[in-house]
Formats: sequence, C-alpha cells, structure tokens
Amino acid sequence: MTLQSRLAFIGGGNMAEAILGGLLACGYPLSQCVVSEPLKSRCEFLHSKYPGLQVLSGSQANQLAVNGSTSPKRTATMISEGSVNLNPTAASTSFAPAEVVILAVKPQVLKTVVHDLRQVLQTRQPLIISIAAGIETRTIAKFIAEGTTLKPRDLPPVIRVMPNTPSLVNEGATGMYATSDATDDQRHVAESLMAAVSKQVSWVDNEAMIDTVTGISGSGPAYFFLMMEAMEEAAVRLGLDRKTAKALTIQTCLGAAKMAQSSQDDLETLRVKVTSPNGTTDAAIKTFENGGFRELVYEGVKAANMRSKSLAVELGGKELSTKL
Amino acid sequence: MTQQQQHQARLAFIGGGNMAEAILGGLLACGYPLSQCVVSEPVVARCQFLQSKYPGLQTLSGPHANQTAVNGSKTASDTAALINDSSLQVNPTAASAEFSPAEIVILAVKPQVLRPVLVDLAPVLKARHPLIISIAAGIDTGAIARFMIEGLPSSTATTDAKSLPPVIRVMPNTPALVLEGAAGLYATADATEEHRRAAESLMAAVSKQVSWVETESLIDTVTGISGSGPAYFFLMMEAMEDAGVALGMDRETAKALTIQTCLGAAKMAQSSEDDLKTLRVKVTSPQGTTDAAIKAFEAGGFRELVQKGVIAADARSRTLARELGGSKL
Repeated sequence: MTLQSRLAFIGGGNMAEAILGGLLACGYPLSQCVVSEPLKSRCEFLHSKYPGLQVLSGSQANQLAVNGSTSPKRTATMISEGSVNLNPTAASTSFAPAEVVILAVKPQVLKTVVHDLRQVLQTRQPLIISIAAGIETRTIAKFIAEGTTLKPRDLPPVIRVMPNTPSLVNEGATGMYATSDATDDQRHVAESLMAAVSKQVSWVDNEAMIDTVTGISGSGPAYFFLMMEAMEEAAVRLGLDRKTAKALTIQTCLGAAKMAQSSQDDLETLRVKVTSPNGTTDAAIKTFENGGFRELVYEGVKAANMRSKSLAVELGGKELSTKL
Repeated sequence: MTQQQQHQARLAFIGGGNMAEAILGGLLACGYPLSQCVVSEPVVARCQFLQSKYPGLQTLSGPHANQTAVNGSKTASDTAALINDSSLQVNPTAASAEFSPAEIVILAVKPQVLRPVLVDLAPVLKARHPLIISIAAGIDTGAIARFMIEGLPSSTATTDAKSLPPVIRVMPNTPALVLEGAAGLYATADATEEHRRAAESLMAAVSKQVSWVETESLIDTVTGISGSGPAYFFLMMEAMEDAGVALGMDRETAKALTIQTCLGAAKMAQSSEDDLKTLRVKVTSPQGTTDAAIKAFEAGGFRELVQKGVIAADARSRTLARELGGSKL
C-alpha cells in the first residue's frame, strides 16, 4: 500500500472534491482514482473539471468503484442494463479494486451506502477512510458486520478523518483517529493522503476528540469567513469601497495566521505585543472583551462539537454520553 | 519594481519600534541594502537589540540622532564630533560612520511624540526635502504640515507650506514582519507619481496587499480593519484554542489546528472569485455541524460585535487625530 494506491471516493461532493483536487494538484495519478457519485450533473461537473477522471453513477456505481472491474465486457453489460454510467472520456473502462475507500457521502446516507457495500468490503478488505461528520468508527464497523457472522477482526480497518475545505487549495487542517486494528502502514497511508492536501495533520488518541476537531478545524473556516464578512461590511459602512475592504481584510487574516505559525509566542502574547495601551487596537480589543467575544466563540465551537455528537447518536444508534 | 531597476533610496527611520522593525526587517529580507538604512531610536537597549538582530545596521540615539539621520553625516570626523559631545551614539559595528542625507524619512514614532519630533526636525526636513512617509496612527497629513511649520522660523511661515516635503501617510500592519502585510496609503496632492511609486514599492516589499485611499479619513477605516486587525484574529484564534482545550483537546493540537484553519480560510478567500458570504454558505450544509456553529454566532450577535470593534478602532483613530493634531473633526 503506497501513495499510489487505488482510491475509490464514495460520494463526489465538496469535501471529496477538495481531497481529490488537492491530490491531483500534487501529482497523484488520475488513473488511480475513481469517484462514485449519484447526481449526474455533479458527475458531469467533475469530469469537465478533471478530464479523464473515472466517474461512476447508477445503482451499481459504489459496488463497481470498490470492487473494480477487470472485464470491459462485464462493465459494458452493467452499462447496457442501466446499472452504471461511466465517464465516456475516462482513461479506461477496466480498473482494479480499490485499496483505499474514502467514504465521502453525507452522514445521513452512510448507513445505506455501507450496508449496500457490505459484501464487497468484506471481500476486498480495503482501508476505509471515513470523512463523514458524526459517524463513529464502531458504527461503521457495525454497518459492515450487520447481518453477518463476521468477527471484528475480520472487518476492514477504519480511519476516521475530519478534514476541512481549504484542502481544495492544499491548505487543509485535519484531525484523524484510527481504530486499534489499523496497522502503522495504514495509518501512514491515511496520513500521507491527508498531508497531500493539508498543512496540519493531527492524530487524536480518543475518538471523542474528533467532535472537537470538527468544532475547530472542520467547521472553522466558516467562522473566519463570517468574521471577515463582518469586518468587510463594517469598513464599507465607514466609507471604504468594498473591493479594498475585502482585500485588506483577507490579507489581514492571512498575515495574522502566518505570524502565529512562524512565532514561538502563544496567541495571547502575540496579541498583547501588538496592542499598545489606549491605542486603536486596544479600543477594538476592549470592545470585543466587553461584548463577550471569547464566550461567544466558545459557544460556536461547542455547538459544532455538540452537533457532531448528536449526529453520531441520530445516525449510529450510539447512546449520547451525559458528560460533555 | 525590482531591486536592480531602481536606485536604492537612502532611508531614515525615525523611531525603531515594532512597526519600524517590521518594515525594516521585511525590506532587508527582500535584499534592500543595509548600508542605505539608518534608524534613529532613543532607547539604547532597543538600539542594541536592532544592532544584534541586523548586524552592521547604522543605529543612532541621543539628542542629535534624528537630525543626523535625516541630514546625513558628511565625514567620519563630523560624526566623531557629535559623539564626543554626547549628542549622538552610533552603532560601533555599523558599516560606515559617514552617510548621505535621507531621501525617504519614515516617521515611526508613537503618535504622542510625533509633534516634538517634527518641530525639532523641521529645518533639516525643509532643507533636505525628503519624501516623508508617516506610519503614525491618528496623525493626519495636515497636522504633520502644521507641526513642521511650527518648527520653522515664523518669518518664513507663509511661504513654507508650499516648500514643505511631500507627505504620504501609511497604515501598515505587523505581519509586514513576515512579509505578509496589508497596507493602506494616502498621498497629499503635492506628492508626485514618483513619490507614490516609491512609497508603494517600499510597502509592497513587506505587504501582499497595498491599497491607496482617495480621502484621508479612510485611513482611520484602514486602521480599523488591517492596521489593528491582526489582533482581532489573534483573539479569535486564542478563543478557539481555549474552546478546544475546554472540550478536552490538548493545547498543542488545538493551537496548530486553529492557526492552520485561519490560514486556510484566508487562502481560500484570496484564491476565490466568490464573496465571503458565498464562501461561507457553500461550506455550511443545512443542519450540519458548521450550521450549528454559525447559528450560535448569529444568535449571539457575533457579526455586530465584530463590526463594533472595527468601528471602535476607527473612532479611536479619529479621536487620536483630534487629540494629537488639533485637526478639525
């Protein structure tokens, strides 16, 4: 298993595209990737953006993506019976079974998807990487094993990943959790895949921390978009043209992050160092502090964290722990 | 404008604090010749810090330091004379004890002391006529001109306004220290195209975004977003890191993920045609985790609070202008 492993993306939405796009931009071979995506228009979008990419849709698409097809004849049969649609401009109509399966469907449909793929996952035993928010690894294992006599050790290993959309510009921040049956090699593959599109990859030791990763980096980009939007709007109301307001705001966000990354100082020290007493920065910071900025940010992070946990309850049948 | 194409103007930094260092450091990192820079800084310990960080940099302190930085020193013995009567301390390891007059003077002192500094420097500024670039928050170009006139003999006051050096007011920010600044600039009508280009090139060496504003009052607004803005993001990141820790994450991981998230969001915003609202909506699946967070922010008045902060910094900038410059508000 290497960084040229055959990848199957189950689901071709925003996050899958973020990872796929980032990998391709890093030189990952297009021919080693297949995407299974139910929405025809989405498939068309993906094969116009990534010419030659193998994109499948239809009732047998997931199966085919994971199982592969060594027989063009068999593929042709599936096409003619309408159970799969291929990208006609894809490199090839025969392709190997997936070594890594990336579950990138919306959490709400993961159960159905995994049930449908049970047999082929058990047969092929790929490394399963799940990016679905709120679905625990034991839930995925349960979905795979349901209705069979499989023992846990016979199941494919699952690595749960919480990436974020800046992966699309190779600037992702990602948290990862691996079940104990994942080998070092498998952890290494998962980390390498995410490192191709993330500048920060962090393993967490217990799965509950993935909900916290969700609250910070998974959902976090939107918090900064909101903050930047508010700053831009404030500047416009004060008379600055929108284009200038937007450009200065975004570069300020970027500059602050770059300073934080390249400094030994913690974030409080960085702030204090640039805040002369009674100056303009001080006036703004005092406004934020007096207005409960910190508490509000905590509430937002916690809300995402809690939603991640309640999704796990709704979707996985887990008992919600009473301690946060 | 590449370094090779342009004569490297002699720069004098009046004040060697955080912001001056940000610009100086960024310029030197871009290859600006150290020998064309001089820093005048009253605190000797600060001079020593600058000397150790930028070996060979000419740093001056003492009562005559500002004057010497602007006026230059023609011969080593001129410099020695000033040192002997204690009106000047220099960096003993600096490249040279003789240096030309400044072509560009960067006023980087705290706003509260700019007036006495300018009054003292007025005659030599008038004589040498450098481009003056002021980074002092809250001091408008009108006030700078008035302070210079204040320092000139009153008999020539009426003709002096026209013969004063041109002033370009800049609002940079501290990420200039890592060459990632955001800067707003305003030039008075007497600044030529060449002056504007020089100021812009200087700031572009340390800023990834340089924006001119047409009216000077917008510099206060620039202060509110990019001048003071890095601290807002430091606070946001600190709050997110603390939230992560409160929810059980180790601090190192919380910090690293938070900072990269901030960076990633900014990179996405910069490389996208979409406006910020669209970017946010695109990543916010209904009923998902992001939606939950954003709803909490909106319900808690996050937007309004951020805007209030920007307005407060803008207002403080205007108040400073009134307090320090005697400008009409």
